[in-house]
Amino acid sequence: MTGLINKNRIIIAGLVILMCLLPMVVTKPYYMHVIIMCILWAYLASCWNIIGGYAGQLSLGHGIYTAAGAYITMILFNTYGLSPWLGMFIGGGVAVLMSFIIGFPTFKLRGAYYALATVAIAEAIVVLINNTGHVGQYVVGGAEGLIVKMVGNSPAAIQFNSKIPYYYIVLFMLFMIIFISKWVKESKLGYYLVALREDEDAAAAMGINVRRNKLIAAAISAFFTALGGVFYAVLIRYLEPNAIAGATMSNQMVFLTIVGGAGTVLGPVIGGILLSLVSEVIRFYLGGQLMGLHLFIYGLIVMLMIIFQPKGIMDLVDRIKRKRGKQDQGEGGASSARDASGA
Amino acid sequence: MQETLLELKDLTISFGGLTAVNKLNTKLYNGEAVGLIGPNGAGKTTAFNLIVGVYKPTEGQVFFNGEDITGLEPYEVCRKGIGRTFQVVKPFGKMTVLQNIMVGAFVNTPKQKEAKRIATEIMEKVGLQNKKDDLAQNLTIPERKRLEVAKALATKPKLLLLDEVLAGLNPTEIEDAIVLIKSINQEGITVLMIEHVLQATMAICSRIIVLDYGKKIAEGTPEEVTSNSEVIKAYLGDDYENA
Repeated sequence: MTGLINKNRIIIAGLVILMCLLPMVVTKPYYMHVIIMCILWAYLASCWNIIGGYAGQLSLGHGIYTAAGAYITMILFNTYGLSPWLGMFIGGGVAVLMSFIIGFPTFKLRGAYYALATVAIAEAIVVLINNTGHVGQYVVGGAEGLIVKMVGNSPAAIQFNSKIPYYYIVLFMLFMIIFISKWVKESKLGYYLVALREDEDAAAAMGINVRRNKLIAAAISAFFTALGGVFYAVLIRYLEPNAIAGATMSNQMVFLTIVGGAGTVLGPVIGGILLSLVSEVIRFYLGGQLMGLHLFIYGLIVMLMIIFQPKGIMDLVDRIKRKRGKQDQGEGGASSARDASGA
Repeated sequence: MQETLLELKDLTISFGGLTAVNKLNTKLYNGEAVGLIGPNGAGKTTAFNLIVGVYKPTEGQVFFNGEDITGLEPYEVCRKGIGRTFQVVKPFGKMTVLQNIMVGAFVNTPKQKEAKRIATEIMEKVGLQNKKDDLAQNLTIPERKRLEVAKALATKPKLLLLDEVLAGLNPTEIEDAIVLIKSINQEGITVLMIEHVLQATMAICSRIIVLDYGKKIAEGTPEEVTSNSEVIKAYLGDDYENA
């Protein structure tokens, strides 16, 4: 068993070093940009996974948290020149507040109410942003979008001429969210979230304050999603309401997590990177040929995944591991069940 | 006299026109094992749900350890020291047996290691150590019933409410379960159990409360209760004397 852990550790250390050295190999800005976006999607899917995967609360409006982070941080930057490094905490705080406003009344109810509330509020907020030119002296930009003030190469403003600093920032964010996901999963909170996902009545009978734990999970998820929104803003430097807050943003986090494996630590990461890479590749090769063909193929891949591998890629990995474990040791029933639940 | 652990005062709940539990008065003393029996629909499980706060009573109060716990949420009642099992077992399917029990242990400790230690101890007590890493959804019915008891025990209750934990078990499994419940009781945990398997109830409980149409119709030792004419009437109907 210790040998196995060491082997895993070596693989992880190798992957980390490889990813840190990646910019030395990849020199074209376009490829770098694609890789950055893949990692950002993996990060956002991991954020969604804390409330949607662990706690099983289907949020279909996480776009409002990316929007909260992006818009608030950038409005503060444009108006007062407040560094996004500080502004992101204000944006994150507002996202947490929003998660409470949605969660407080709906987490007491069973079934689809939370999902419905997230959709409704997300739609309302997209319309609201689209129709708000400015609030007092604060320019929001309305449907035209918000342009981030350019200040040139400035670490304080998170604006760089090269893509490489962005790569390291988003890579750090990914490592951070993996670490947080793992910590949550193995802590009391993680046990409580999975328990209440599996059966709320049984969870309550065992002393779990169901509503409070759902709110905590939603708040953690909202805060880190907002940081993802801030990163998107400083990377793209232009906020288009439908792109940052709309249904595409919200749904993407859900798709990537489910395809990768909801409720696992690495599922959303794998799903996020693989699926957005596939999406980018087919867009690159087919995007110019027939309008919408790349989206059609992308949709088809997601559908096939959901039909044939509904538990996600991580489940497939576990099954293969289990099979190999059986061949290697002639047993492995007990340890593989552990893998399946602990992965 | 022993000290009172649980006291129900005029406990009543109505669903529309139906009074499911009607002015239920009773006391449970520290360390005893009490059976709650009655025909189907007598209000036994409803009484449990009133005690643990799933339902709020229309009237009456619940006292636990001298403290009024009426109207508290189920998770608060659990933290006061009342554990319960469900008639239809509710395992956390996608968690392993050990993880299921650890969820209960976390009530008393935030530390994962400590929760694991408590859970392992309880897992061995109920005899599930061989299933430690199995997912709960893969357990058989008798194993699930044991897990249900283990999950409740992990919260370290002073009072354990067992809702038909013997239903669906075969005679050997019932024997084993009786031994388990007795040993739990001997460790000082007060037990209140709903059970249709009368021999088992008699083997475990020193006192039995009988409900019918939401009302307590008898209370006493197993011998007293089984010879009570009201009880026989409730189970066999009015014409039993002619039969």
